[in-house]
Amino acid sequence: MPVISVSNLTKRFGEKIAVNDISFELGGQEFLVLVGPSGCGKTTTLRMLAGLEPVTSGEILFDGRKVNDIRPKDRNVAMVFQDYAVFPHLTVFENIAYGLRSRGVSSRIINERVPAAAKMFRIDHLLKRKPRQLSGGERQRVALARAMVRDADVYLFDEPLSNLDAQLRHQAREDILTLHREKKRPSVYVTHDQSEAMALGDRIAVMRAGRIEQLGTGSELYERPRNLFVAYFVGTPSINLFDATLQAQDGAIFAVTPAFTVRLPDETKEKLQHHVGRPVKLGIRPEDLHVPKQAPFAVSDDNTVKGVVNVIEPSSTGCSVYLSTMGASSRDFVATFRVRVPATYLGKEIPLAMNMRKVHLFDAETEQSLIS
Amino acid sequence: MAQVVLADVLKHYDTLENVTLTGYRNPPALNHVSLTVRDGETLSVVGPSGCGKSTLLKVVAGLEYPNSGKVYFDDVDMTDIKPQDRGVGMVFQDYALYPSMKGRGNLQYFFEVHQRTQEEMDTKVRATAELMGMGFELLLGRIPDTLSGGEKQRVAIARCIVRDPTVFLMDEPISNLDAKLRERTRTEIKKLLQKFNITTLYVTHDQQEAIFMSDRIAVMRQGVIEQVGTFDEVYFNPANLFVATFIGTPPISIVPATLSDGAVIIGAARLPMPEWMHAASLPREVRLGVRPEGWIISQNDGAGVPVNVSHVERLPTERAAFVSGTLANTTVRALAPLDYPQVEKVWLMPDWERAYVFDAMTEAALHVPGVPELF
Repeated sequence: MPVISVSNLTKRFGEKIAVNDISFELGGQEFLVLVGPSGCGKTTTLRMLAGLEPVTSGEILFDGRKVNDIRPKDRNVAMVFQDYAVFPHLTVFENIAYGLRSRGVSSRIINERVPAAAKMFRIDHLLKRKPRQLSGGERQRVALARAMVRDADVYLFDEPLSNLDAQLRHQAREDILTLHREKKRPSVYVTHDQSEAMALGDRIAVMRAGRIEQLGTGSELYERPRNLFVAYFVGTPSINLFDATLQAQDGAIFAVTPAFTVRLPDETKEKLQHHVGRPVKLGIRPEDLHVPKQAPFAVSDDNTVKGVVNVIEPSSTGCSVYLSTMGASSRDFVATFRVRVPATYLGKEIPLAMNMRKVHLFDAETEQSLIS
Repeated sequence: MAQVVLADVLKHYDTLENVTLTGYRNPPALNHVSLTVRDGETLSVVGPSGCGKSTLLKVVAGLEYPNSGKVYFDDVDMTDIKPQDRGVGMVFQDYALYPSMKGRGNLQYFFEVHQRTQEEMDTKVRATAELMGMGFELLLGRIPDTLSGGEKQRVAIARCIVRDPTVFLMDEPISNLDAKLRERTRTEIKKLLQKFNITTLYVTHDQQEAIFMSDRIAVMRQGVIEQVGTFDEVYFNPANLFVATFIGTPPISIVPATLSDGAVIIGAARLPMPEWMHAASLPREVRLGVRPEGWIISQNDGAGVPVNVSHVERLPTERAAFVSGTLANTTVRALAPLDYPQVEKVWLMPDWERAYVFDAMTEAALHVPGVPELF
């Protein structure tokens, strides 16, 4: 039985629908990330799970029990907020102990658990300090330790890393996963940052305008996005999109753009037949464009796109190369490589081999995927 | 505009009590350094802390006087010229703005000290403010204490530009900024450098920054310049083992290897020698260098050197993983797909076209892959 079950959940603020009829289930030890642009309803959903926001319609079940009308403090959830929400007048120790004290847990247990949790998050030397004497990263760890000492049914996180700088964020992610693994309870995590979602989530729900566009593992979203929005939202650098028309020729289907024509794999023929002659969006991820010499497939004119190199940006795993197609309707696109591309190619036109099995095609109007 | 030349510069920091009859007790900060910064180019100096990179900058600025050797701007010997007369603009890590003066005062100071006309001062300050772009005018009316780190650095850069320097010297100008701001500021500085085309020496410990900023990179160690070249040159054609390990993140793996009887012996594994190695005359004991992307990783027994996996670091945004393990007492790191399984053992085979060979004793490069022709 799922631990959390949400069905047809809706939230209206007056005329505005913040969350529009969403449903999902969450298993025993799962880490679910709600991700989407601001205003997509992810935080409202989380707040309804916590009980901080009344539900307009629909149901929230914890362990099969309906909690819609149960007050936040009686739901037994632990929540970590973006602004840490530590009490400024309490010491670190008392901040961590707060949730336990308010539930009447004995001092003996508090004196055991608080230092242990503080140690786990490397703040055991700060227990006597007040929050204003702490850095942002340390305050965040106080908030995590406060969640850690609780035995909550569900752990909720509302953009807990947004206020930290890049270097601290990496460590803080690890800290959150430590908490999750230790507790063995479901966690729901809200963020607008897709890379954070990919790094943390067992499953990820991509939200837009109050709806879940797609829910799946990071790889599912990345490899088989259901629509253009999900395809574009997931992955950095973003997927390359080209306006194309489908044409049938010699028993195969080709995607024709002003800059190149590529032959689509035979497996997709059946699904694409009805769209021949229609405008589509062709999507190809930056990593699926290869150096022709090193491509793990046969390269010909039917899977080659050419571009002029504008910028080469080194990364820890190789480099990103920013290019433009030649001609009147020039398009910018990007390719990522597992090798360093020498700067000698700057300003030159180079051919890239497109892995046609990784091509995404979307209806230009409905933006739904035509192949997945 | 000028070409900057350091000719055989020696600089000791030792105080008198550290100088004995047998010479200096400590190694020099600059050990007979010669370097040419071409007219209009940006040259980054990188190296571990204490390598002498900041000293090099100070010698060019005239803030340190060399024990021997010369500094030339174009053909003019600057060695004995006072710092204020060299026409250099310097930007420091800690900004070094005059705290009592507003932004405008900081920019005007040079003209006041040198008793230039009010008219020249006003024109120059106005022109510089325009060049610095949007919103800079607002910073001129504020005192440094009320400016953020990034804003202070913009004022410091403007203070350099306003005096038309012939040479720009920057000492870790953006290290004090937080990560996001650093990225934005470095783009801004690069644009300015391109706009002015001023000869620039840029000191940093961050090689990503060096790659981004500069036309060429000088790699320093213990007062010596180990190599000068474009990033591609130091990456693909390193002069020695130090340069190869210093350039590239995560770093290259260096493993001891024995070359014998047509085989490369690493630990207990014998790999057949690649074609080019037969032809090259290499010593028996070498150090083999392979970058993370230069390993061919496999789970098949015998497909290379067996390595016990200690750690798989997954980078979901890069869609890649680093598989780490120990090989002949050194850590090796291989690039793999993101979904590479969590296995205990892998077999690593160098992609020989991308391998480096160094002398086991001198650490000089004996074979380098060279800048690849990819397309």
